[in-house]
Amino acid sequence: MSVLLDHLPVIWQGLVVTLQLTVASFLGAAVLGVLVTAMRVSPVGVLRALGTAYVEAFQNLPLLVLLVLAFFGLPEIGIKAEPLVTAIVVISIYEAAYIAEALRSGVNSVGKGQGEAARALGLTFRQSLWYVILPQALRTVVQPLGNIIIALTMNTLLAGAISVVDLTEEAKRINLVEAQPIPIFVGVGLIYALIASGVGFVTGRLERRLVMVR
Amino acid sequence: MKKMVAVVAVSLLGLAACSSTNTSGSPAVPGEAKPAAAEWLAKAPVADAAAILPGSTMEKIKKRGELIVGGSLDAPLLSQQNPVSGEIEGFDADMGKALAKYIIGEPKVKIVNSASETREALLGNGTVDVVFQTYTITPERAEQVAFAGPYYTSGLTIAVKKGTTGIAKPEDLNGKKVIAGANTPAIAAIKKLAPKAEIVTFGSDPECMQALKQDRGVAYVQDETLLIANAKKDPSIEVVGNPFTQDPYGIGLKHGDEQFKTFVNDWLKKTQSAGVWQQVWKNSIGTVVQGEAPAPPQIGSVPGS
Repeated sequence: MSVLLDHLPVIWQGLVVTLQLTVASFLGAAVLGVLVTAMRVSPVGVLRALGTAYVEAFQNLPLLVLLVLAFFGLPEIGIKAEPLVTAIVVISIYEAAYIAEALRSGVNSVGKGQGEAARALGLTFRQSLWYVILPQALRTVVQPLGNIIIALTMNTLLAGAISVVDLTEEAKRINLVEAQPIPIFVGVGLIYALIASGVGFVTGRLERRLVMVR
Repeated sequence: MKKMVAVVAVSLLGLAACSSTNTSGSPAVPGEAKPAAAEWLAKAPVADAAAILPGSTMEKIKKRGELIVGGSLDAPLLSQQNPVSGEIEGFDADMGKALAKYIIGEPKVKIVNSASETREALLGNGTVDVVFQTYTITPERAEQVAFAGPYYTSGLTIAVKKGTTGIAKPEDLNGKKVIAGANTPAIAAIKKLAPKAEIVTFGSDPECMQALKQDRGVAYVQDETLLIANAKKDPSIEVVGNPFTQDPYGIGLKHGDEQFKTFVNDWLKKTQSAGVWQQVWKNSIGTVVQGEAPAPPQIGSVPGS
């Protein structure tokens, strides 16, 4: 383990980048995910179709393909962004498809009467979704969302393919010099495990606090 | 389901469009049939039965009838799988075949695609017998694995887009964005000679080239041989200066297996004196580098070997 301690500063740098990627991508994905869910449950057929197309497209393409395509492909048509920005945008778009699906299952779990009651009270579709259905839907999908965040954390390491130096990429660089893959990758793996268990802990607490007895 | 099929079809079309723009100019299939290959293999030496000591690693390999080599499948000129024939071609790959012939009598090789991250572990737990993978001998690595050789010396150099000024030596890279292959010794070399350079890494050589052309960095530091080959294929790129490092490539073996190391070093001497090493060089690296094969490096001449 002393190999890791010798390189603590760069591991820290890598961890910061991984956390930046995770947090920023999750926020982006959450916003997009809510929008896509709204489209998927909307009364307008075209919006529903668009939402479905979005989910099918991004859930069914590998993240690595999307990253490489965006990073090397978009500059060919004149769109060029920093690697970190590209990574955050692509991961957000990709994970939004998963978040949208989790949220939709939550929306479907909210009783039909809730929506009807909200509309009967004169709320618009947007208001009934925002004030009545989504708050209830969110409570039922805290755990699946936690799982998506954990998967997202693990997925951030693919950003290494487009030159973002995250935790995994730093580990590879350290190993290149030290040639001790087992302690280095086990150590870095433990850091990921810590992040994941942190997320799991928070979502577990949230779930208990938000639980609704029906 | 229909939607999914449509999405896949559209994306495949998109990918096809991308690749067709890239391949113009350079042939899609590297390395057609090489008639000289059989010639050097016939010349390659075979070990005396007495050299295969009972209970040794070489005996184990001979009994198995196959040499398991840790190597790459995507390193042009060194160890690259020909997409048409499925054969693995290049300097490292052929050296592996020659070693297999020396031990077994036939060039029977199984290449395990080992990444730079896993080479030490694969040797340590016996998944592979040897590693031929531009494995630079360093004292740190020599604590984890044994190195026979060096069997080849190469050096890093700098490539830039044609017309770039102000970059002639590694020190000029300070304060600039520099592209390097992930998991290559270039990263450490740049950090040492130009500590203020920002290093941008990509997994493979074609990606690094694409990044250089898209101005993701002003220079690309890589093994000289590879860069010369790249510059030949792509006239918008040029190589500046001479190699600024000396990287001795070793044959990775299990740490502490002195018997096998001596055996492999003996083989290396024999292939070099038989002219096989030189022929292998001509067939691979010699196809882009002008002139005759260089003198092979002195075995055991670097710290760690």
